[in-house]
Parts: sequence; C-alpha cells; structure tokens
Amino acid sequence: MSEARSADDATPTNTCPECDGRLRADGSETVCGDCGLVVDEYHIDHGPEWRSFADDDRNPKRTGAPLTRSRHDRGLSTEIGRSTRVKGRKRRRLARMRRQHNRARISTKRERNQVYAFTEIRRLTSALSLPDRIRDHACSLFTSAQNEDLLCGRSLEGFAAACVYAACRVVNVSRTVGEVVAEAKATEAEQTAAYDALNRDLGLPVGPIDPVEYVPRFATRLDLSRDVESRAREYATEAAESGLAVGRNPSGVAAGCLYTAARDFDAGVTQADVADVADVTPVTLRKTYVALRDEE
Amino acid sequence: MNRQDRRAVSRQYFSQERLAEHHFRSFNNFLERGMQEVVSEKATIETDIGDKEGEEPVYVELGDIRVETPRVREADGSEELLFPQEARLRNITYAAPVFMEMSIIRGGEEEEEVVVDTTETKVGRMPIMVGSTKCNIHNLSDEELVEIGEDPVDPGGYFIVNGSERVLMTSEDLAPNKILAEYDTKYGDEIQVAKTFSQRRGYRALVLCERNREGILEVSFPSVSGSVEFVTLVRALGLESDEEIVHRVSDDPEIVKFMLENLEEAEVQTEAEAIETLGKRVAGGQGKNYQLKRANYVIDRYLLPHLHEDGVEEEEVRINKAFYLCRMAEACFELALQRRDSDDKDHYANKRLKVSGDLMKDLFRTALNKLARDVKYQLERANMRNRQLTVNTVVRSDVLTERLEHPIATGNWVGGRSGVSQLVDRTDYMGVLSHLRRLRSPLSRSQPHFEARDLHATQWGRICPSETPEGPNCGLVKNFAQAMELSQNIEDEQALKRELASMGVEGIPGIEGPDPTNTPADD
Repeated sequence: MSEARSADDATPTNTCPECDGRLRADGSETVCGDCGLVVDEYHIDHGPEWRSFADDDRNPKRTGAPLTRSRHDRGLSTEIGRSTRVKGRKRRRLARMRRQHNRARISTKRERNQVYAFTEIRRLTSALSLPDRIRDHACSLFTSAQNEDLLCGRSLEGFAAACVYAACRVVNVSRTVGEVVAEAKATEAEQTAAYDALNRDLGLPVGPIDPVEYVPRFATRLDLSRDVESRAREYATEAAESGLAVGRNPSGVAAGCLYTAARDFDAGVTQADVADVADVTPVTLRKTYVALRDEE
Repeated sequence: MNRQDRRAVSRQYFSQERLAEHHFRSFNNFLERGMQEVVSEKATIETDIGDKEGEEPVYVELGDIRVETPRVREADGSEELLFPQEARLRNITYAAPVFMEMSIIRGGEEEEEVVVDTTETKVGRMPIMVGSTKCNIHNLSDEELVEIGEDPVDPGGYFIVNGSERVLMTSEDLAPNKILAEYDTKYGDEIQVAKTFSQRRGYRALVLCERNREGILEVSFPSVSGSVEFVTLVRALGLESDEEIVHRVSDDPEIVKFMLENLEEAEVQTEAEAIETLGKRVAGGQGKNYQLKRANYVIDRYLLPHLHEDGVEEEEVRINKAFYLCRMAEACFELALQRRDSDDKDHYANKRLKVSGDLMKDLFRTALNKLARDVKYQLERANMRNRQLTVNTVVRSDVLTERLEHPIATGNWVGGRSGVSQLVDRTDYMGVLSHLRRLRSPLSRSQPHFEARDLHATQWGRICPSETPEGPNCGLVKNFAQAMELSQNIEDEQALKRELASMGVEGIPGIEGPDPTNTPADD
C-alpha cells in the first residue's frame, strides 16, 4: 500500500521509484522489471474482454434483465425450468419442486398484496398506454405507501389506481380521475380515499394541474387538426398566466380552450362533444370560453 | 410466344410488387382469416369459478377479432397514426392495436346462463408487416410515400420491432399429413416404415407404421410408449372382421398373404377387446373404467389428429383413421415386396413452406393461450375478492403484446426454433431483395445431410440453382427463383371436399354420398 502511495507521489514516469529500472505492465499490475517492485496493482484492465460470443456474436450483453421496481422481487425471480429429457421419477420430483418453489416465492401477506397491486398497476398502465417509467414510479409509490402503513382499511385496488394517477401527476402527464377509474378495478371513492392518503402522508410533489397537459389528448380524441391544437395550447398558457385558470377545473379550462380554438378555425365541434371528452359539463366549458372571449 | 410477349410476361415477374409478394399474401391471409380462425378454435376461456358449493360457473366467450392500422400513443395521451419511418427513427414498434369481443357468462348449473358483461376490448398490439393491407403506407402513391419519408422502391415484407427491421425467414418443412414410406434398420435388420406427420391446429403428431423382421405390423404414435400391433389398433377403431381388414389393406395376393400372417398373430378379435388391450398399454395399473376412458381419449386425441374435422361424427372419424392406417400398411408391404421405391424426402412435392403468415399464426396461437390463462387468473382473483366481473378489468393487454413482440425481436420462436426472425440485410438493395426471398431448411447445419443439400430436379423453376451460401449452410439456405409462384392453402376445405365429391370421389366423411363404410378411402 505504502509503495503504491510512493508511486503516486512520484511524477508518472516509466521508471521504478526505487531503482530507476524499467516498469513493465503485466495484466492488472505494474512491476519493475529489475527489482520486482509492484508499483501499481488493481488498476482497471483496459484490454480486450476475455469472453467468447459463441452463442451470439452480435449481442454483447452479459447480464440478465435489469432490476425493476415493478416486480415484488425486483425482477430477480428464479424459475425451475422444464426439460423434455428428464423422464419418470425425476420429472415428477422436478414438478413437485416447481410447485413448492412457486409457493415459496411469496412468503408474506405483504408480498402477496404487493404482487396483486403490481399486476393491477401493470394492467392499468398498459390499458392507459403509459410509459414504463410511470409504471415503475407507480410501483415504488405503492411500496412507499406500504412502508408508511397506509393500506390498513383501504382497498388494494384503490391504491393501485391512486398510485398510477399520482405517478402521472408527478411527471406532469396528467390523466383525469375519471379516465383512471374507468379502467381500474377500484371505484372512484376507493381511489380518492387512497389518493388523499398518499398525498397527505407521502407529501407528493404535485401542484395544480396545468390545463395544457390535457390539451393534446382531448384534441386527438376529438380528431382536431394540429392548428387547432396549437392554438388551444396558446390559449391554455395564456389562461394560466392571466390567472383565469385559478379556481377552475383544469380539464374544464382545457376543454374551454379547445372549444375556443376550434371555433377560431371553424372545426365544427359542439360544446357538448368537447365537454364529454373532458368529462365536465358544458357549463364549466362555457365559463372558460366566455372568460377567454372577454379577455380578447 | 414471340419475343414481345415473352418480354411482357417476364416484366410482370420482375415488377416491384412481386418481390415480396409471398410475404404479403401470407400475412394478409393471416390478418384476414388466420387470426379469427385461431380465436374461433379457442372459442371460450373456462375458469375454476363454480367448483365451490353454491357457486355458479363462469366462463368467457371469445367473439370477433379486429385489427386496426399501426398507431402510437404518446406519454401525453394523444394517439396518432404511425408510419414505418417514424418507427425506425424513434426505435419503437410498428404495431397495431387488436380488439376482441369478449363476454363473461355466469350460470348454467342451477340458474340460467346470464351474460355478465360483454365488450369489445383492446387485447394487445400486433406487429404489422410493412406494405401489408393493415400497413399505413398500403396503396399510397410514390409522391405520397416520399412526402412521409418512405422509400418508394422499398419492397416491404418485414416487421419493425423496437426500431429494427426484422424479416421472418421462410422455413421449408416436410409436408404434413402425407404417407412417406422408407427403409430403416432395427437391430441390424432392414425394416419398412410408413410415416405420417399428422398436423391439426398447431398440434403435430408423428405416426409410424413399421413392418418388423417377423413381418408383423406395429404402429406407434404419441402418448403410447413403444408400439401397438396394427391389427389391435385397427380393431379398436371399429374395423373388426378378418376379411374386411385384409380387403382394406390390399387385394394383391402377396400382400394378402402377409396380412394373414398378421391376423394369425392377433391377440384380440373384437372391438371391445382391442380397446381393453389398448387401455392396458396407455394406463397400465389403473382402474378398469379409467383404462377404457383413457384408451378412447388417446384414440380420439393423439392418433392421426388431422383426420378430425368439425361437424363429423367420432364414429366416422374412427373408421376413417382405420382406413388411413390400412393405407400405411399397404405402403409398408409394397416396399417390402419392392413394388415401389421409398419416398424421396427431398422431392419438392413432399415439402411445404412456412411463410411469415404461418409463423405469425403459430405465434398468435400461443400468445392467445397465454392471454387466456391470464384472463382466467384475473377472473378468479376478482371473483375471490368479490369484485364486479367486467371484461375491461380482467384483460391485461401487455400479455399478448409481449408474447408477439419478443419472438420477432429475438428470433426465438415458439416450439424452440431460433433465428426465425433476422435483421434485414441492408448492405445494398439487392441484399434486401435476396433476404426477403430466402428460405431455410430446419436441418442441422452441423451434420452432413448430403442429399438434402443437393440440387434436386424438382427445384427447377422454384429455387435458384446457384444462389446458396458457401460453408456449413450450403444447400440448406436457398433462394426463390425469379418466377417462383407460391400457392396457398385453400380457404374452405369443406368446399373443396364437396367439389371432389361432386366429381365422383366417394367416402369423404361429413359429405353426403354413398355409404362410406362400403367404399375404400382411396380407390
């Protein structure tokens, strides 16, 4: 160790600090060729990897799947495989082992709940076509909720739905409560109860929803053109800046902006259509519409 | 034909649409009919709900399936049409949502059957072949293609998964449902074997009929270890009397002599006895009733499954199986008497090609089974937790999607085949064309297989005689000839059979006609 340090003190040269002999790099060590002093050891070997790519010469992967938050065992599960070559008694023994192994995979009630909630979260995120990072985030939110003992007396399905909803809110790709509930196994009451608990006890970093987040989604569902969509975006940012959106239902504001923009381009959508997509009443929509028109 | 005409004809063969036509036809066929066929085969998903006392059983009925055109859903929730170039550049999958009608039905035990919920729900995403009918660039003009960033001369015929272009390699298999007679050796003696790969709905069973050195015929098929005497099996199938068995095999006096030897050795005389003997073989040491049940199940399930058909009675199928076995016996005897040569496995009449649509059908079948298992599990879970059973909340659409995308992305197909999907060779334009028209033999490249690698006379006009790689794959990887015409399986087998019957073919099961028991299966 001390020798290594003395080597560090000296200016990096190709000579030995003791006898000024020639240094020789040998694998992961640097050795003096004359006196045999080990000048440096355990440095990073930059040489070629001593690995054969015999199975697949284009695939340089050497690990399995990455760890994921969205599995109760972080994706590190073991499976007892099947083989057609094993016959008779050994095969039956393997089948028994497989069954016992599957039973032992989930050891506690807590894990069982986790597995159930994670499948529900997976189902929800795939039904809502959300990206994987939101799925993973939702799953880790659920784990946090479990660690904080929030689940007692509230439904698992509700928490699964609330976690998905919350994960979307946090990364600003909001879905309305109605949209999540429509796909979820939970009822709206269960979901809100769970979301309130999450918000209260975990202190989610969520602010008020920016109406802009809703605009592109509603626009594609109404089959509106790009122009209408970008005009609606402008209205929505304007509304947020001028304080018009304060105290109003954000999806109602988004709907109002879309309707106003559609009117500008004569896109031929009714208030009822837009309100329906946004899951608000036409009255809510009209309020924003009137306010926007007043501002102009 | 004069030179002008010849030129016009060959132009047609060299036209752009024809370069990957076999892929398009096969995949379009899969989209239009194949997928629905697979769903209709499955028909229902049974659950274990209702096993408990006082609980009504629940099952799911599968209805029509529908595929849209490829689209992408962004994180902000907006959904747009997806074009191949965007999929390539953004490293996403060129896939279209698949919808299926499903209804959950409860009851049937004590109460009336009630439909609890019925909806058309999204079950997953199907990777779409570039240029197929469900592709967004189908029927676009060259100008429009350039407009959206596509190459107007790109032949298509491949899939895009995670941004990489994947072509499904056509594979050359031995024709199923045909009798192939050949010589084999067993314990140093030469014996004669008639083989059939019987195939129906993705299930493949090899049935062997051997004439051993004593001249006794033995049949072996899956789920029976070893082999069963031919006469026993035929009697179990309902062909009882000596005279009839002999007559069914052949009228040739020498073959009749061979058959009589077999009948003399026979241990059983009646159908019931024969089924009993078979029962001892398939479920030895079990109860008598179970043995009979098992024997009947094995006959109807594992023996020559390709002779089954919807709407044909079990009785008729069985006698037809007996006739088929007699044909196999005849092939063995003829080979033994040197009335015929052994069949040529390399003859192109004995080959069938599996193109992308057939491969996708195999894949879709297992993916649907996986989905069904997941739906069953989810239903049971939801029922256990006293939740309302709805179609939307029990279908996880990522199950099917993953099962469809993963094999295409890695090439590891169902049934343990690997290297089925390959990265499209974009070295140059000719490389792409050659790659799309390549086919592969499933034979191992590490063994010699000299005959299989040789150029066979029947490859004339179908397979290019010179384009094959050097080295271990020589003669196993081939390429289509320019004017190759790949015919497809007929759409409606019933119609074909009716047509054949009207032309005078007798004894087709399930078709009106003269009493089938009086006419041989193929005379």
